[in-house]
Amino acid sequence: MKRIALLFLLLAVLWLGCVQTTDQVQILVSPKGLVHSFWLTVKAGAEQAGKEEGARVIWKGPALETDIATQISILEDYINKKVDAIVLAACDANALIPTIEKADAAGIPVIIIDSGVNSDVPKSLVATDNILAAQKGADALAGLIGEKGKVALIPFVPGAGTSVMREEGFKQGLAKYPKIELVAVQYSQSEVERAMSVTENILTAHQDLSGIFAANEAGTIGCAQAVKSRGMAGKIKLVGFDASPNEVQALQEGVVDALIVQNPYQMGYQGVKAALAVLNGQKVEPVIDTGVTVVTRDNLETPAIQQLLASMNE
Amino acid sequence: MAEKRSFVLDRFLKKAAPFMSLLLMVVLLTLLSPYFLTLDNLTAIALQMSVVAIMAIGQMLVIISAGIDLAAGSVMAFSGVVAALMMSQGFGIWPAIIAGLLAGLACGLFSGVLIAKGHLPPFIATLGMMGIGRGLALLLTGGKAVFGLPQSFSILGGGRIADLAPGWIDRLAGGVPIPVLFTIVLAVVFHLLLTRLPFGRHIYAIGSNPAAAKLSGIQVPQNLIKIYALNGLLCGFAGIVSASRLSTGQPTAGTGAELDVIAACVIGGASLSGGEGTILGAMIGALIMGVLRNGCNLLDIPDFWQRIAIGIIIIAAVFSDQYRKHQNKKI
Repeated sequence: MKRIALLFLLLAVLWLGCVQTTDQVQILVSPKGLVHSFWLTVKAGAEQAGKEEGARVIWKGPALETDIATQISILEDYINKKVDAIVLAACDANALIPTIEKADAAGIPVIIIDSGVNSDVPKSLVATDNILAAQKGADALAGLIGEKGKVALIPFVPGAGTSVMREEGFKQGLAKYPKIELVAVQYSQSEVERAMSVTENILTAHQDLSGIFAANEAGTIGCAQAVKSRGMAGKIKLVGFDASPNEVQALQEGVVDALIVQNPYQMGYQGVKAALAVLNGQKVEPVIDTGVTVVTRDNLETPAIQQLLASMNE
Repeated sequence: MAEKRSFVLDRFLKKAAPFMSLLLMVVLLTLLSPYFLTLDNLTAIALQMSVVAIMAIGQMLVIISAGIDLAAGSVMAFSGVVAALMMSQGFGIWPAIIAGLLAGLACGLFSGVLIAKGHLPPFIATLGMMGIGRGLALLLTGGKAVFGLPQSFSILGGGRIADLAPGWIDRLAGGVPIPVLFTIVLAVVFHLLLTRLPFGRHIYAIGSNPAAAKLSGIQVPQNLIKIYALNGLLCGFAGIVSASRLSTGQPTAGTGAELDVIAACVIGGASLSGGEGTILGAMIGALIMGVLRNGCNLLDIPDFWQRIAIGIIIIAAVFSDQYRKHQNKKI
């Protein structure tokens, strides 16, 4: 009986926690993770767009980027719940396709943000041009190391669309510099601990390394920690991706030398706007590039950069 | 007389409590959300839980024998990756499935031998296997997901009965997802194994009192190896279903799944000290977790609350169980 009483209590509490509105347009925004500040900024942008348009934004995603099955379950539940539109950052470029097709068949338009899928069902892709962004990363790193030497690359999840494109873009970017050699590619799995340990392995294996490009937030933080704890800060040039408070601090400390900063706020904002446009029968661009900015210690204090960073960390 | 009735009532409550909880959740969710009691939604819940439920069958055998298997999620990923790699290398679907099952079986045998012959505590042996399984999955794939699985393989995890059997079955139950069908068939088979075969009774005997089981002539080590091998086989099968559902072999699939699986068994009335538990209980436990997760989505309850809710349910389930036992002792 205790158990039943407890269950009652629990469900009553949970019920109080949920808002009951039915006539508002409901948009599910499903990120790849919940805890990184990148996703919190996407959320802020999505909620702002929802507020402006009077739509309700529901924020649900798996806690870990590798938990594809949970993201599929969430989408299925909300398709059954008949949300009006879905804005999705896909955990996997292939595994989500059947679910996206199911949503489309149920008349629910899907807008992809940040991480694309290998399907043309989604109405629009609102994202950083990751190939272009990683090319800028290669240029920044090349500039820092005098266009010669050995470098390493730390992408995040093998097979994930964004990771693959940044890997490709970085390699394409390096092709312009014949004196730079890419000696190691190791994956961080978007975990800070993993990024630390792979960086340590790379540093051990390549004593004469000049620079590292870490392709996302967790990778950059872990890589910076490893470089710092080895006392190699400043000696190894480090170009990171995104601009969480941790990363900006590492930039100020001189551990990280440049950050390729995306605009996650715009992804959330324009993703929801695009979804609403589709619902209103308007035409949306198949690809919307939200752009990147290279942030260094030299331009960190300029008003434009400060404004960009503030929009991300509010 | 009164004592006897209280005993009968207690037995009934113990058996029925998980089911009553499930029923209550279903009633509440039906009242709270118009989308809950729809065929599509119920099918989705069953489908989402099928991988955990298949592993919970094996875990239940292990827990009844007073053991635990922490390697379930890793073995699942390893088997899925083995099958996916075989397929991407151009071997047929059937050889790939058999290889995946064998991979799971081998992991189970390894744990079983360590426990039965090496006298390692199950917690330690399977903790080791957990690392080995995950490591092998990552090693075989180089950390990358395996793509390029044949289209027909996706029927296993994504298909419905209608895709397989035309005719009268189609009209009757054509919408049932194939993983759910597998789960039901496996649950029935293992329920019969536990309740009708000597092997089943031996599992309960070993879990209740291994010394007495040995004295009464039960071959404890052989039975333990069999239990862990069967469990490994079921985890391997779950891995193949999961690979089919994700249409990729993911080396990171099922991270933390062993905890869901153990939770399903415990919510369903298994005792971690052994000797107690039923397959039906494991299935109800898995369903309770599935309904809870689904309900949290339908009611837009944030993920962080969802985790707290599942934690509370696990504690409440075991607490009520212990409370009843304690009351009984006082009588």
